[in-house]
Amino acid sequence: MKEGKAQMRKRIINIIGKEWKSTFINLNSALFITLLPLMITVQALILIYLVLKFAGAEVLVKTLLGKGMETWLIIFPELEELHLIERFQVFFFAQFPFYLLLIPIMVSVSFATFSIVEEKQTRTLEPLLATPVRTWELLFGKALAGVLPSLLITWFCAGLFLIGITWMGSGHLLEFVLNAQWFISLFLLVPLFSLLAFMLGVIASSRANDPKTAQNIAVIIVLPILAIVGMQLIGFTVFISARLFVLSITMGILNFFVLCVAVRLFQRESIVVRWR
Amino acid sequence: MSVMIESFDLTRKFGNRTAVEDLNIQVNKGWILGFLGPNGAGKTTTIRMLAGIITPTRGYAVVAGIRTDKEVERLHEVIGLLTESPGFYERLTARENLLYFARFYDIDANSQVDKYLKKMDLWERRNDKVGTFSKGMKQRLALARALVHKPEVLFLDEPTAGLDPKSAKEVRELIMKLKEEERTIFLSTHNLEEAELLCNQIAVFRTRLVTLDTSHNLRNLLFQRQVIVELEAVNEKIISTVKSLDFVLNVAKDGKQLIIELRDFDKNRPELVRCIVESNGKIRSVFEKKHSLEEIYLTLIKEEGVGA
Repeated sequence: MKEGKAQMRKRIINIIGKEWKSTFINLNSALFITLLPLMITVQALILIYLVLKFAGAEVLVKTLLGKGMETWLIIFPELEELHLIERFQVFFFAQFPFYLLLIPIMVSVSFATFSIVEEKQTRTLEPLLATPVRTWELLFGKALAGVLPSLLITWFCAGLFLIGITWMGSGHLLEFVLNAQWFISLFLLVPLFSLLAFMLGVIASSRANDPKTAQNIAVIIVLPILAIVGMQLIGFTVFISARLFVLSITMGILNFFVLCVAVRLFQRESIVVRWR
Repeated sequence: MSVMIESFDLTRKFGNRTAVEDLNIQVNKGWILGFLGPNGAGKTTTIRMLAGIITPTRGYAVVAGIRTDKEVERLHEVIGLLTESPGFYERLTARENLLYFARFYDIDANSQVDKYLKKMDLWERRNDKVGTFSKGMKQRLALARALVHKPEVLFLDEPTAGLDPKSAKEVRELIMKLKEEERTIFLSTHNLEEAELLCNQIAVFRTRLVTLDTSHNLRNLLFQRQVIVELEAVNEKIISTVKSLDFVLNVAKDGKQLIIELRDFDKNRPELVRCIVESNGKIRSVFEKKHSLEEIYLTLIKEEGVGA
């Protein structure tokens, strides 16, 4: 039994090692996975800096964002003790964990699509399925290979963002930013979205024959994230801790169903007979 | 002699289309079975079922004592599969590719991979990306992949398809070596010469098994044995003498040759030669007409087609 588990672990580690080697040897995918998250983070910091520097808080109050801020203040009255400009800074910084969700989605989708479409293009799946590796081990190994770096990169970017806030001279606002929502989003939603994105990548790749098509199909998942950010910015709603928990549970259920579909698609028989 | 591959009414349908129907075969240990059939006959589907990659709709198969539909992982420990297209990760090196596949088995992957890279004459190119390899080299690497875990049974799907004559010869020589090592091989091929050269038995297949026998027996089964007598000159006297013999079934003249069909070939051939000599026929040579496996195959496939 122990030997069987050791063999299983060995096979999964083998898959992860190969996935990372194949992905990072490919300049396109390596740049996509590493540079894009950094660009998203730096872009967010620059954007916040520029808006506050050149637009000014008084101008922002008159826009839709002012309405968003009003709603925000009802839920977080402690922000009222801050200057108007600082309130907007906290308001923008607090959107970042949601904006950050784009990173695990993109990285996971990239891993899934590059990996599976490559297997289809090079016709390596059939010889692979003739080895003692179980199909769930293959899927699990590929999922870990995609989800682990996406989590690490996302958390790294979150850290970078916090350093950026401090560097912008707003370190004293971190006590308002690092609240429960920030941690729920980072440590609950990020893994859930990452996994969901990976599974959608697998499903899309089973039908598509090139990574771009697969990615186009899979990034549909990005839309609800943008909607969350948009709704908060205009004050339509605020994702407080309780709502984030509900969202996490919904995501967990969705993950389960999508996982069932992915596992169903990722069977020896389906791969060999139906995948084209 | 133990049986290594055995199927019982093995059938596979895809929707309404039957790809393989009631296949019953047996392959003994250390034998090579040549699996011949036209494109779309169901050869690859059969291999996939025997290799436990897809399940049969009806019937079952036992390979190396293991049910192919029940204990897939255990089956995959003891079989090697060379797929029709030798898929590799083109950006990884030959050694990295082989190591990846070898590590799925409970073997010393590093030493086995190095051993087979040397054996397949790929050692010098071990650190080159597979994308830079020729088709022949990829095929040798695919064979190394199929063999790296020392499988008892090998399934080879069109191993020489698309290769230049030199590479095809190299692959055939490798298969001959495997035969000497007593591996049981299921060889799907279009190349009839290859099948005749390598295989103990030939199965002609077209959705159903048309026939299964040695190439020698297939020849005797399908064609009356013929003797060709080459003479200095052919005249009417010789022809009528030959025709008058009661064991002669048919005589045809082709230039200075007589093509004669005989009953009890081995017994009556000397008597035929004696009669021709007595009729003042000056014989240059006497030899048996050998039907190629291609003729046998085409005849069988044609008969099957008419029957179907």
